[in-house]
Amino acid sequence: MTYFIDLLIVGLSIGMVYALIAIGISLIYSGLDIVHFAHGEIYMVGAFIGLVLFNTVGLPYPLAILGSMILTGLLGVFIERVFYRRLTARGGGYTVAGLGMIISGFGMSIVLQNAAYLIWGAKPLPFLVRFGMPVEIGSIALPASYLWIVVAALFLMTVLHLFLTRTPLGLAVRAVAHNKEIASLMGINVPLMISVIFGIACALGAAAGVLIGPINYVSVLMGTAILIKAFAAAVIGGFGNLPGAILGGLIVGITESLGAGYLSGSYKDIYPFILMIAVLMFRPAGLFGTIAKMKA
Amino acid sequence: MLRVENATGGYGSVQILNGANLSVERGQIATLLGGNGTGKSTLLKIISGLMKPWSGTITFDGQRIDGMRSDSIVRLGLVQVTQGKEAFPGMTVEENLRLGAFVRHDRAVVARGLERAFEYFPILKTKRRQLAATLSGGQLQMLCIARGLMSEPKMMLLDEPSAALAPQVVLDIFRIISRICRDGMTLLMVEQNVRMALLLASYGYVIKDGVIKIEGPADALMKDVNVKLSYLGGTVAEQEKQLNLNH
Ligand SMILES: Nc1ncnc2c1ncn2[C@@H]1O[C@H](COP(=O)(O)OP(=O)(O)O)[C@@H](O)[C@H]1O
Ligand SMILES: [Mg+2]
Repeated sequence: MTYFIDLLIVGLSIGMVYALIAIGISLIYSGLDIVHFAHGEIYMVGAFIGLVLFNTVGLPYPLAILGSMILTGLLGVFIERVFYRRLTARGGGYTVAGLGMIISGFGMSIVLQNAAYLIWGAKPLPFLVRFGMPVEIGSIALPASYLWIVVAALFLMTVLHLFLTRTPLGLAVRAVAHNKEIASLMGINVPLMISVIFGIACALGAAAGVLIGPINYVSVLMGTAILIKAFAAAVIGGFGNLPGAILGGLIVGITESLGAGYLSGSYKDIYPFILMIAVLMFRPAGLFGTIAKMKA
Repeated sequence: MLRVENATGGYGSVQILNGANLSVERGQIATLLGGNGTGKSTLLKIISGLMKPWSGTITFDGQRIDGMRSDSIVRLGLVQVTQGKEAFPGMTVEENLRLGAFVRHDRAVVARGLERAFEYFPILKTKRRQLAATLSGGQLQMLCIARGLMSEPKMMLLDEPSAALAPQVVLDIFRIISRICRDGMTLLMVEQNVRMALLLASYGYVIKDGVIKIEGPADALMKDVNVKLSYLGGTVAEQEKQLNLNH
């Protein structure tokens, strides 16, 4: 039983990390009408920036998370403005420009990987944070690092939720995600709001990276595998749907962890995709339904 | 208040507007009539900044607005309510209204706007916490008009407020539009319901092939309505039917 609960906790916390990235992918999809294939590298760069803030600058861990979110968010805004805007301005989705965006996303992920390689080298770096003793609940001892991930991720999701539902700016983000023309007729500066959306998505990816750092190493290639899992999470929940992204992330994390624990650890990356295929067979729009996007 | 001079524009390489001219005075209700696909919505989109004109000038309240982004035009006090009742379905009625006041950061203005919206459209008050997706066509149109009023604009562009609505609802909506204008709004309204539009407006324009073919005071156009209707394309019979319904 404790073995099961251990696996569940590991799955839950890794699932939270997937969820944070999947939320970013979904936000970008609903706001910009593109699937951002460099989001795994945003997560990787965020982890490195967090590591630098923690080790070199000497910030406490929570501030390293926050600092990395801000810096990576700004990096995201820069990338969107300078490299993606020309393409997305001509339409995303199924347009020719939308196809170009997919290729640009892959290109950007190679650029970011190589930049990180030049700056931080190929060797995985440890992210040593002292979290203190495991937290004991009944007979179960929870490693504090896992607890940290769950609490911090829940906190960020709550803040995002309050932002989207309670603030005028959050309403504007949702308006832009639904219909850019009508949003602009509300007096919303749509290009600016697109930068905001992209920045928030990148900040969440960075938080995921800094959160997973202490239980993994930080390495140049860490973004590659996680992108497809976050992608699976988004698909399972319903692409572009934020609660769906969270649920999908948790499902992927827990499936992977239980699969590795009870079946075979060497196939652990496969289980979420088997699940994804199953979900798509029975509910093609994901569990929560996809935001229908019709773009000429 | 609004002046459009020699506006041309279109989609891709297809030209729709071939030099349209019109002007609306402060406090005036003007209507823009014309058959299907003659460029009425295109002209409104060019005024509101959703599309850039290819040439020509547009001035609003003494300022050149052609080529401006639509959100800047909203900030100047010119708001468009588009054809097709496009509310944000995943948001509540109140959230939709609040979005209409996005450019106003003063809480008092937003509160006053909500109150006024609920006064014009009491049904919206009872549905204020419901998702816009649950509203009927007429209620959606009301929501869109109310949302347009939330920023307290100086002028509104209304695109076919009566389209695809039951006759009784059309009457309700026209009654409220007329009240809004009595309260001081300047209005340019596109309509297919020629008779209702001319009853409400003081000045009318008829567009065909991308240019204004006829213009004049509404009562003069009304007297001549049967002749002028021929300019409205193949919709004469339809219009007649609607006239009977409205009596
Ligand atoms: N988004 C678009 N892309 C291409 N052509 C369009 C588009 N919207 C409208 N048109 C064409 O422009 C012409 C004028 O349309 P519109 O201004 O909407 O007419 P209406 O007078 O009915 O409002 C029509 O022939 C229509 O087919
Ligand atoms: Mg039209």
